[in-house]
Amino acid sequence: MTTLPDGKIRVVDLSMGWAGPLVGQMLAEMGAEVVKVEDTHHFDWWRGSLSMGTPQAQPIERAATFNTANRGKLGVTIDLANPRGLEMVKRLAAISDVFIENFTPGVMRRFGLTHQALGALNPRLVMISMPSFGSDGPECDARGYGNTIEGMAGITALTAYHDAEQRYMLSNALGDPVGGLNGMLAVLAALHERERTGFGQWIELAQVEAAIPLVAEKIIEYQLTGAVPRPHGNRHPEFAPHGIYRCAGEEQSWLALAAATQAQWRALVAALALEHLASDARFGDAVSRKANEDALDAELGRALAALPLDEAVARLTAAGVYAAPVNSASAIIADSQLQSRGYFVPIERAVVGTHLYPGAVARLAQSPLRANRPAPLLGEHNADVFRRLLGMSDDEIRELETAGVIGTVPRAYRTTL
Amino acid sequence: MRYSALSEVKVVDLTQYIAGPYATKLLADLGAEVVKVEPPWGEGGRRLGPFRPPARDDSVQPERGGLFAFLNTNKLGVTMNLQHAQGREMLLALLGGADLLIENFAPGTLAKWGLAPGDLLAKFPRLSIVSISNFGQDGPERDGILNDLTLFARGGWTFAVGEPGREPLTPPGSLAQYIGGLYGAIGAIQALMARDWTLGRGQHADISLLEATAATMIYEPVGFQYSGLVRKRAGKRFAIGPFMIVTLKCKDGYAGLHCVTDGQFEALCELMGRPELTRDPRFHTARDRMLNNDALLAIIEPFFLERERHWLYREGQGRGIPVTPVPSVAEVLEWEQTKARNYFETIDDPVLGRLRIPGAPLRLTSHRPVPSRPAPLLGEHNREVLGARLGLDGARLSELRGAGTL
Repeated sequence: MTTLPDGKIRVVDLSMGWAGPLVGQMLAEMGAEVVKVEDTHHFDWWRGSLSMGTPQAQPIERAATFNTANRGKLGVTIDLANPRGLEMVKRLAAISDVFIENFTPGVMRRFGLTHQALGALNPRLVMISMPSFGSDGPECDARGYGNTIEGMAGITALTAYHDAEQRYMLSNALGDPVGGLNGMLAVLAALHERERTGFGQWIELAQVEAAIPLVAEKIIEYQLTGAVPRPHGNRHPEFAPHGIYRCAGEEQSWLALAAATQAQWRALVAALALEHLASDARFGDAVSRKANEDALDAELGRALAALPLDEAVARLTAAGVYAAPVNSASAIIADSQLQSRGYFVPIERAVVGTHLYPGAVARLAQSPLRANRPAPLLGEHNADVFRRLLGMSDDEIRELETAGVIGTVPRAYRTTL
Repeated sequence: MRYSALSEVKVVDLTQYIAGPYATKLLADLGAEVVKVEPPWGEGGRRLGPFRPPARDDSVQPERGGLFAFLNTNKLGVTMNLQHAQGREMLLALLGGADLLIENFAPGTLAKWGLAPGDLLAKFPRLSIVSISNFGQDGPERDGILNDLTLFARGGWTFAVGEPGREPLTPPGSLAQYIGGLYGAIGAIQALMARDWTLGRGQHADISLLEATAATMIYEPVGFQYSGLVRKRAGKRFAIGPFMIVTLKCKDGYAGLHCVTDGQFEALCELMGRPELTRDPRFHTARDRMLNNDALLAIIEPFFLERERHWLYREGQGRGIPVTPVPSVAEVLEWEQTKARNYFETIDDPVLGRLRIPGAPLRLTSHRPVPSRPAPLLGEHNREVLGARLGLDGARLSELRGAGTL
């Protein structure tokens, strides 16, 4: 059984990149029919991610990012700049439940695809717009991507080693998934409310506003103390040890390790057979360990450098100490707990073959989410969608293709991400 | 601010610390009635900080850390000792009219108290249960412990951050806990929709923080399988690739640059007064810029170093180049854009006083949201919720308080 009646909720997804597409992808996991609309000129910029390897045929079908963020969707192409194309999008909106877009403010207005216009065609339509900084305000036209949104939310300023000034971006463009998850929550709430009111509505979600709550703690700390919070790097402001240490073996064998309590410290010392540290006055209690953290890190670094990562993790976790491998891309897939729960799911996708993709996070026992369907090829479902949903004949579809309103061949390879 | 989209939804909230309370806060901000059930000594999140200086003193005031004040707005607060039979009876009475029970105890805790999810679902067919835990409700490491450092590390967020010649750098704060909370809130509404639209009854939703954390790393695990390449730390660069996504030192701090498209590169060259670079064979295409990334960075870096970050933001954005001035949280609070949109909400917290807290990011435009209620004091709504709803009179409430149940 799917969470939503299979295929009964229809979604038109005009969004690109990650934040918007994540909403459509998660609705598809619930059993919605999600029609992703691209254009042979302006296809999703995440298709354009250049491979680090040698250029290959059909490069726009080989982007891991696109192929992950658009799973379970039907793919169509429609040229919005063409009046007939625009009409097709409006007809799709008229028979759909959700409409997703994440263009900069004003783009939808120029096409006449506002909620005001679409809601007049379909009062039950829930539309979500996901601009970077909002659809109003003095800086609403500024551009933002996952990384810079993270910066605007105050996260980058907090990301630095404890002993250096350089700031770093996170490795997952956090602004994107946070925007997408908040968008998903909002769409579900609006669909739920629609059952009571009978009406859809327009949801506006500024992605930066979705990211700021993640540092609420620091925003409140600043107000309570008057001091601008500083980065702590891998260290903890109150206790030690709390850090990342190199282990024996491969060059990139790193261990994250923390002992928050005196009991954990004793367990750590016993697990690593470092009894001489237990009697060392510099490390006797939390206050002295924090005061002598450089020396403590040097001692732990020496001991751990002689121990293979797996063994260090096994010994420390068995002893009840916070310990984990710093997982690389390949190590995440091999992670024992993720594997035991079948988190990654194999999906066969045209052009690229079969790979493992991240599964649905919420494990709904009776209506499991479906994260096991591939992302569409460019325009893959044109005929199906235009025939079945818009009632077009094969002749009409062929004619639209000839006129360049729809298509399956990209008309320009642009350098985009 | 508080919306009313979920106004008929009743949530019994047993959560503690960050991930669980954030999940129920998101539902409360959408209008759900969230009854936060704490033990008589208060959940651990009350003692997380930040505190007003001087330093915290638990013996004097279990009320309250600043983060608690944010994570628990719009909730009703009651106390119940679930280790007592009477406490459990009161919980069962509350669950009678509830749509959702949300908890983030260690797996098996509810069962230990005789409140196993399976039994509760059988007893209350309309109820769904959302469990948020470190590793999920099964698997060999179900009972393992996690903190922010090890969650980030294991979920893949840490490996590629920092200098290539140094140890990886952990992300700050508790960011991943909030991701778990978002998945929890989404899972809760998904369970409600399944009940109403397909199943006809409630169910159990199991959310693992490790999986929620790994779910935001879609570049790595999939990209690695496609290319065979493991992404490494690239220092100030986001990654090595056909783009210039980089955090650079400037005259007065740092600025982030996201230069990816040909258009953005042309605009950047113009901003630097070096239009000829677009015709330079080293930088002509994205692929050229990837192969000559160091040479390009060597041109951009001194330009940034000599300028102020807000100038770079203004002038860059004016030309369509995504630049961020890497504001501190203090600057985020004073950012004109958030002010113009009334994003931060001022609450009068009964203990901490006036605080500006991040508002609800989603804006449901058919609504007129109302101001948020501050987080509850410990047991603040015992009389209102337990008294009125469970029919316990004042004498019975004081009796229960005396017995340590409330």
